[in-house]
This record gives sequence, structure tokens and C-alpha cells, in this order.
Amino acid sequence: MPKFTLNEKEVEARDGQTIIQAAQELGVDIPHYCYHPDLPVDGNCRMCLVDVEKMPKLTPACTTVVNEGMVVRTNNEKVKEAVRGVLEFLLINHPVDCPVCDQAGECRLQDYYMVYGLHTSEIPLGMKVRKRKVIDLGPMVVLDQERCVLCSRCIRFFDTVTKTGEMQFFGRGDHVAIGTIDDRPLDNPYSGNVVDICPVGALTSRDFRFKCRVWFLHSTDSVCGGCSTGCSMRIDHRDGTIFRLLPRRNPEVNRSWACDEGRLSFHELMAGERVVRPLVKGRDGMQAPVTWEDAIRAVDSQLKQTVSASGANSILGFASPSATNEALYLFKQYLSSRLGVSNFEFRLAAEDQTVTQPEDDVLRHLDKHPNSMGALTLGLTSNELGGIQGAIEAARGGRIKAGVLIYFKPLVPRPEDRQAEAAVAELIDALEYSVVLASHKSDFLAKASVVLPVAAWSEEEGTYTNYQGRVQMAGKAINPGGDIQPVWEVFASLLYASGDNALWLSADDVFARMAESIPAFRNILPDHARQPSAPQTP
Amino acid sequence: MKKPAKVVNVANRAEKESSIMKEVLGPIRGLGLTFGRMMDNLTGQVDATIRYPEERRAYSDRYRGTHILTAREDGSPRCVACYMCATACPADCIYIEAAEHPDPLIEKVAKRFEIDMLRCVFCGFCVDACPEEAIIMSREMEISAFTREETLWDMKKLMNRPELPEFGVGYRPNENLVESRLAFVPKDKVRVQLTGRVTMKEAVEMIPHVTFDPNKD
Repeated sequence: MPKFTLNEKEVEARDGQTIIQAAQELGVDIPHYCYHPDLPVDGNCRMCLVDVEKMPKLTPACTTVVNEGMVVRTNNEKVKEAVRGVLEFLLINHPVDCPVCDQAGECRLQDYYMVYGLHTSEIPLGMKVRKRKVIDLGPMVVLDQERCVLCSRCIRFFDTVTKTGEMQFFGRGDHVAIGTIDDRPLDNPYSGNVVDICPVGALTSRDFRFKCRVWFLHSTDSVCGGCSTGCSMRIDHRDGTIFRLLPRRNPEVNRSWACDEGRLSFHELMAGERVVRPLVKGRDGMQAPVTWEDAIRAVDSQLKQTVSASGANSILGFASPSATNEALYLFKQYLSSRLGVSNFEFRLAAEDQTVTQPEDDVLRHLDKHPNSMGALTLGLTSNELGGIQGAIEAARGGRIKAGVLIYFKPLVPRPEDRQAEAAVAELIDALEYSVVLASHKSDFLAKASVVLPVAAWSEEEGTYTNYQGRVQMAGKAINPGGDIQPVWEVFASLLYASGDNALWLSADDVFARMAESIPAFRNILPDHARQPSAPQTP
Repeated sequence: MKKPAKVVNVANRAEKESSIMKEVLGPIRGLGLTFGRMMDNLTGQVDATIRYPEERRAYSDRYRGTHILTAREDGSPRCVACYMCATACPADCIYIEAAEHPDPLIEKVAKRFEIDMLRCVFCGFCVDACPEEAIIMSREMEISAFTREETLWDMKKLMNRPELPEFGVGYRPNENLVESRLAFVPKDKVRVQLTGRVTMKEAVEMIPHVTFDPNKD
């Protein structure tokens, strides 16, 4: 643990840390373009120059390891002058087309110009070296060579993270430009990350292109709902519409990355019609919209009748691995403690197997549900049924008569989803009485006895347990509107209707009580789950 | 490095510049002006009433009336949908949708550009914010309509309106910096002798009457 002096203050760094890393942890911001915490150090942009005593020249903070007794200054005139000079060089051939550039507002060139630059350019616009603009690099990325500061972050990303090496430098001198050979499209499943790591507007998102200026967006911290990896995500939204998903840095799960499917998963969420009113099948066999109170009362009394007529074992609780822990906990709480149900299942396919199976060696997992691990931890499986097929057989055989189902459409579509959906339809068909909690409309909902509209991912606060058993909080970004309610609130209402007088105030409240009663969640607080490296269930 | 702002202490300056002549004669001079105006009105030398709508007040060259979207040489809109106007707008009355421009040097173009004239407060911030002089203001201020939908002005209307030549161009601070055009040709200013008190001593332009045709508009 070397001690060193940073801007006249005695501080301590960890062994092997570079100056920029130590300074960042201590809250001192050193300007940089090429340095990235999850990429190898390159030291080419020269923006992070700092003054180290007894060194003959200024030295880059990203390549210099902190030594005992070092005296570092990041804010004296010498450093500021050097940084200003570097910035002026980087801006010599910059086209200054901020008005049409999607990076504007989160661009490091703009930020550092306001802090360090504020110089008048010596190069008139007509004399700048022109390069190619608006180059289509596949489904995720648009390249503008003029705006590039040649930091090589994108090149290093493809070289070291995906190990595909699509991008490289071309040309010499002030004609150097980044690109792919023959403008070949970037077709690897992680190409969207270079848009995030590009500190300037050279690589911009194809999907987000011209959709919205970034300063209009509001951000909500969340967790990706695309697969069991549970990458930390940020939802950028405005007026109830999600515009983009960006990864948040989480060294324990996704580092700074996210896959393209996860990034675009919000389109799947926004697409398709929503269930907006509770529907109850009347005596004529037609579903009619009713109020929540009526729907809750109807469900509770019908389930109680089933229990008294043919026993608690004739009811099936079929959960969704896309629901939050809070939802699953209250789901089980209602069915097992109030009705005595013991038939629980959530497996549409072999989620208990695939949840920890990686799809590739970067991030993705085969299980495309965010909370299979949570459902497993809460014990929502039954050896007797062994998945949805067993449940269908039991319902066909008449052993199971009624069922409460939660179904969310997968945010990252796969061909096998059809089979899963068909199986759910078959199960609903086989049940005499079925209550389905769904967010989006689908054909099989017409067969259900009761349909309850529930909030989907990003519309409710709640925790998801990822493949490592890490319990992570996903925030509420948008208001679903209509009569839509979070799943946990539906079961809280059902608990209340069935005579349980406990009040469930918020998702945090549910979580806190779940942590008290379920050993795996013990000692985890809701605030812990909000941290980037959230605690793990064993 | 930022320079420190120059600070002027107004109280000091007032004390330094005050004199008995100024303190005493100032109000007397002011009263003289008031009485002079009163005499003009009483003797009927000036007609203080403007008989609207047959007569109109002439507005200044930098009057902030309804907006105009300027054009490129080929007549297409100059707007690049940078949202600077929408960002600066305190009334949140500008709605823009962007699209890809075929020319990579222009890159971005507005697909929709709408101003809700009922929300607009005519502050002119959008004109100040525009980096392309794509939006300027006219001297037109008669924007009444029979339905709310008519007050939501779209790009076509903002670029080319039959009424505009009558009123002329208003607030346009960057006229000499950027080469932008109007999609219409404003008429030459007509100098007409006075109406109204303010314009008593100068020969100013008179805005001719615009007749409203409900079938056409």
C-alpha cells in the first residue's frame, strides 16, 4: 500500500495501481480519452499528463504506477498548459459538427474543452483534413472518421474483449482513421459496446441515431432483463418511452459491457399490445373487463372453492422466471400459506440447467430469463411435476384443476420461445380454472378464466437474482398506465382479500420481509441490492 | 483561464455623477415633455388612437413575431434538427423529429418541425440558440384561428406563408453571419406618414391591412 502525495495531500493507493486509478478512487478527476478501466492501457492520447516530482517531463497518469513517496500534481499551471495543448491538437481537424452529432452532451471533447480548452481554433474550417462521414458499420454502429481522436479504445475492445479484432487504424500522419477493412459490418454480438466506450462522436449508435438529444433523457439504474447474466444497466427514458439501454460498470458481473441483444431488448418490451384492464370470464364464457377489486375477490373465492372441493393439491402455482423476487415471494406466500398449495413450478424449458450455462465466453447465458436463480432459491420447483410438461399432464389427468400463472414475454426472443408459449397455452387449455398474470396480450390469454394486467420489466421496482446468485435491484423507469399493477401488489391484494391483515407497502418492504424469512436472502438489505456489486445468495 | 468579470458599483457611480443641476433640472425637463405631449393631445395636433385593424402600428425591425424557417439555396429547410431551439425554449412549444439527410455533410434534417403558437411566449431564445440561422422571427403577430389545430404550425407553414410578405422579417440577429434565405420574397418597406403618438415625428412604414378570407385560410 504505497503512500504518495496527490495535489499536496497525503493519500494511500493500492499495490500496483496507476496514478489515474488511484486518483479516480480518491475523487480526483484526471482528463483522459484512451484510458479505460476494463481495457489494456495504451497511453496514446496524452490527455492524462500529470506532474510527478523528480521526473524530467510530465508523465501520463494511466501508465505510471504509484510508488512510495511519489509527489503528484494534477492541477498546476504546467499540467493545465500541457492538457490545453494536447486538446488543441486533438481538435485541429475536428469538424465541430456538434449540432448534428449524437454524442453532443456526453462528449469528452466538449467537456474537456469547457474545462481546459476555451481556446480559439487556429485552423479555419476550410483547411481541416476531411475524412469520411456516416459510414454504416452494421446493425449497431455508425462511424464518422472526422470526429475520431484516435484513442484506439474500440480497437482494443475488439482485440481483447471479444477477440475478434475487426477494427484497426488506416493511413498515416493526420490522415489516420479508424475503420474496418472494406467497411465490413461489425456483426459480433457485442459491437454496441464500442459506441459507449468511444469518448467522442466517432462511433455512434445506429439504433439511437437522431432519436433524442441526450440531455432530454432521464436515467434509471436497472438490471438487464435479457438473460440470467443480470448485467447492470441504465435505462434512458423520456415521457414514458425507453430510448436506450446502457451498461453500468459492475466489475463483478459485466465489467463495462452489455450484449447487443440486451441493449435492444427494450424494443421487444415496447412492441405489442398491452393488457390494460383485469378481465374475468363470465357465465357466457366471454372475458369482460372488471375492476381490480372484483377481479381479486373473484380469484380468491374461486381458488378457495377449489381447495374445499378437491383439496389444495389440485391447485398449481406456475411462476415466471422473469418476475422479480418480491413478486415470486408473495406469489408463494399467498398460495402456500393461505391456500396450502404445494405444487409450484416455473420451468418452461430446463431453466434450472441453463441458468448457469454460458452462451459465449464474454457475458451471455443460455437462459433468457433474468430471475431463474431467484425462482430456484425460493423453491418454486417440484420434482413431481418436473417442468411445464409434467404440469400439463397432471392437468390433463385431472389431478390439477386450477392454476395461477405468471407469464412475461421474453425480452430477448429465441426460436424456442414458441414452444414455451405453446406449452403455456396448452396448460391454460388443460386447466379448469386459470388465473394468468400477463403484461402483453397473446392469443392464449383468451382461454384464461381471469387475466390480470401486470407491470413488466422497467415498470416496477424489484430485485432479480442472477446466475451467480447476486441479488440486484432494478429500478422503475416508466409508468405503465392503465390499470396495470406490479405482480407483488396483485398478490399483496390477494393476501389481504383472503384475510391476511399484513400490509405490504413497497417493493423494499416485501424485500425486507423476504430477507427475514428466507435463509438465502438473510442479511441482504434493499440498499445493498442497489450497489453495483450486490450481495450474493449462497 | 476565465477572466474575472468587470464589476460596476452603480451606487458609487450615481453619487459621483450627481450634481444640483441634474437633480433639479432633470425632473423639470421631464415635466416639460409631459406637458408638451398633453398640449399636443389637447389641441388635436396628434391623434393618439390607432384605428385597428384599418390602421396598424409600425413595429421595429427586430420585433419578435411569429417564426420563419429559412431555406437553403435549393429551397430545402436549413434546419438540421439539432434541438437547440427546443432546448432553449422556456415554453416547451417546439416539437422536432429528425431524419437522415442523403448528403453526409449535412447528415441530419428535420422531418417534423412544429411550433405550438398558443404555448409560444415569443421570447426569441430559439433564434438566439440556432447555430444555422434556420429559425428567425417575423413581425407578424396576428395568429388567431378558429381551432387549436390551426395554431400548431408545421414546417410547411413556418417556411412559406402568404401573410408574411405583408409584415416583413423581424428579429434576425445573425443575418450577416450565415447565408440563409427565405422561401418567400418580403415586399419592399413602404414609407407612410405617421399614425400614433410614438411615431409622431418620423416617417415610418405602415403595415397595410390584411383581409382575412375564411375560405382560403
